[in-house]
Amino acid sequence: MKMFLTVFRNEIGRIFSLRPVFSVVVLAAAVYALFYPQPYLNEALRRVPIAVVDQDRTQTSRELARLVDATSDVAVARVLPDVPTAEREVYDRSIFGILLIPQHFERDLLHGRSSPIALYADASYFLMYQRMNGAVTAVSRTLGTNFEIARLVGLGVDPPVAAAVTDPMPFIPVPLFNPQGGYATYILPAAFVLILQQTLLIGVGLLGTLPGAQVIWTGTARRRVSDLAFESIATVAGKLLAYLAIHALIVATYLIGLPYLYGIPRLGSVATILAFAVPFTLAVGGLGLVVAATFRNPLAVQLVFAAIGLPFFFLAGFAWPAEVMPAPVRLLSQLLPSTLAIDGLVDVAQLGASLSDVHREFLGLWLLVAVYACIAVIIEFIRRRRAPLPVPG
Amino acid sequence: MQRRDRQQPGFPLVFWRELAWLRRRPLLLMLTVVVPLGLMLLLTAILSAGIATRLPIAVLDLDGSELSRSVIRAVDATPDTATVLHVAELSEGRHLIVARKIRGLLMLPRNLERDVFAGRRPEVVLFYNTQTFTVGNLVLRGVNSAIPTVAAGIRISLRTAEGQPVEEAQAAITPIPLQTHALFNSTLNYVHFLLAALLPAVLQTVVVTTMAYAVGIDVETRHRFAILRRLGGGLLPAMFGKMLPYTILFLSMLGIADFVLFKYLELPLRGDPAVLVIAGIVFVLACQFIGALLALLLRPVAAAVSIATLLTAPAFGFMGIGFPRLGMNAFAYGYGELLPGTWYLIARIDQTIRGTPLDLSWKPVLVLTGLVAVLISLTAIRVRIMRRSVPERAA
Repeated sequence: MKMFLTVFRNEIGRIFSLRPVFSVVVLAAAVYALFYPQPYLNEALRRVPIAVVDQDRTQTSRELARLVDATSDVAVARVLPDVPTAEREVYDRSIFGILLIPQHFERDLLHGRSSPIALYADASYFLMYQRMNGAVTAVSRTLGTNFEIARLVGLGVDPPVAAAVTDPMPFIPVPLFNPQGGYATYILPAAFVLILQQTLLIGVGLLGTLPGAQVIWTGTARRRVSDLAFESIATVAGKLLAYLAIHALIVATYLIGLPYLYGIPRLGSVATILAFAVPFTLAVGGLGLVVAATFRNPLAVQLVFAAIGLPFFFLAGFAWPAEVMPAPVRLLSQLLPSTLAIDGLVDVAQLGASLSDVHREFLGLWLLVAVYACIAVIIEFIRRRRAPLPVPG
Repeated sequence: MQRRDRQQPGFPLVFWRELAWLRRRPLLLMLTVVVPLGLMLLLTAILSAGIATRLPIAVLDLDGSELSRSVIRAVDATPDTATVLHVAELSEGRHLIVARKIRGLLMLPRNLERDVFAGRRPEVVLFYNTQTFTVGNLVLRGVNSAIPTVAAGIRISLRTAEGQPVEEAQAAITPIPLQTHALFNSTLNYVHFLLAALLPAVLQTVVVTTMAYAVGIDVETRHRFAILRRLGGGLLPAMFGKMLPYTILFLSMLGIADFVLFKYLELPLRGDPAVLVIAGIVFVLACQFIGALLALLLRPVAAAVSIATLLTAPAFGFMGIGFPRLGMNAFAYGYGELLPGTWYLIARIDQTIRGTPLDLSWKPVLVLTGLVAVLISLTAIRVRIMRRSVPERAA
């Protein structure tokens, strides 16, 4: 117990006294909290500029263009004479789509014929494509339905019957969670978990590789295996709890404070979120100890983990569905605390899941804690066996 | 190389010394070869499917009629979605969505068929999860394309029942059909959209941080800095001799990634390969000099590497692939403007999937070239200032 407390105190002291560690665990976490969310703070992509090529130049074609411009997703930025001119503007990125209204658009409509229009939408940026396609599809359907109803009514059909004939089985999509489809609401809860993992992982990796990471002895010079084992366990436990203590405030800020600050809806209870964060932090700390033993050089830890965040994010199966990843990749992803933690924490915080709903992730994280802590204990044990005897006094 | 001691100081001497370092220092070799290749391979494996198909959804069929079964069949037949199971009540479906066993729940109300043909307009509801953005949108797209198809069949049959000819009914039900053409990436393939952008983004972080380290260990002390300058026989040759081995290595990594993309993942190359290569060279140079400049400005090396990581690790979001720059606030837009990756990705998208005409292709390349020129000037100024602070005897 004495050993455990010594290690615990020593590790906390080192986190604050070693500048690189403090920078990564505390300062970097603070900077990322402000810096990372910037691109997404507007939540939605609005008024994607498109051009209209109106070859009809009638009241109805202008009405169609006006309705498209009135949607929040798309803005008619230009009216251009022909498609090749408009295509050049797309290549120039001044517009991202072309709405072509062919000649005789109005005449065909009035004659009861099918009167097609075409949208050429830039699909090199999927979100823009989706916005343009969604807005123009909705407008063409609404306008088309109005014409169809008007025609039927003109033929003497009752308006309610006409409405039923034009839309007999309305389709109502109901987005559960993040109903506005906000981009910040989508990406930030997951990204925050990943930032927590990255900063703590590098921080622990640095702690284990910077000077001062030497073995702490209880003072006795006995080298019995049982003593060594006991000391190793106490050391790893002391370190992990030190990380948990230091990280508690940061985790609470990232999982509760920041979402509140950025206006991200939270359905889950604070207690459940924090309960879930415990095994996550311990698992990352355990992995950090293994990382430190693997790399042994603080610069190597910093450099190797600098660019790894992006692959880790996609590995989590959040931005890209895990169902379609190759099996070995999915297996690998399960070894990272972030994969289970993003699933679990997003479910708890954003979807309002209870601990029993996410018990698979919760237990999985505890399993990772056990695995990484065991490896760390074994490494510590080997190190102690090889270490020279402490000089008494 | 063995007779380095007899070589004249100059660019080749520094160049060969750097290559010898790369051979002797496993960390440097790991950072320039193993890490970028490993990370790019991992990303490629993750996204290799390119298109997510047959996402599982569940059905709550309260009607059990011929019509409800045809709706289910239609939803199952779209490439996006697959109806994998039936649930008995809404709460069960919600539970499965939260547990990510299913990605959506389609609810077909009681008496659907009877009400449809009686003109009561019963609603078909899809519950889906927008918290997982991409997947939620794909599920919506799938169901949203299937239901109108079934509805169109009903509308035609309602009209033909009234004695309208089939062709006339078909034309009448969609007065304004919309033909959407997805320009440049017609299959909406995530490999060509996302992976092709992620690989240079990872490389950007690797290049900037590695250069901060590689230059950092040479300028950390005044003594080493002086040695480097003397070996180079001047500042400029020393600087370029130091940088060039890495330029070659990182360009090779980019080349390997592109080879895999073009050869195996069928990324189209519709533009000018020369422009793509030039853009790649200036991109790598710009990243290199950002790292070098950080190493010259910040000490110790660890601090330079930390700041390099801080600046580039979150950069992907700022480069406007997932969430376009058009929708960003002024700060994010401005920061994106300063990243070499933003401009390289524009050039890359132009020359690969877009096939932008040559006269419209130069802007990102010119911006990158300007960025490199500015960075080289800043580096030269910084090195000159440092030389003044080096004592004469060391030089």
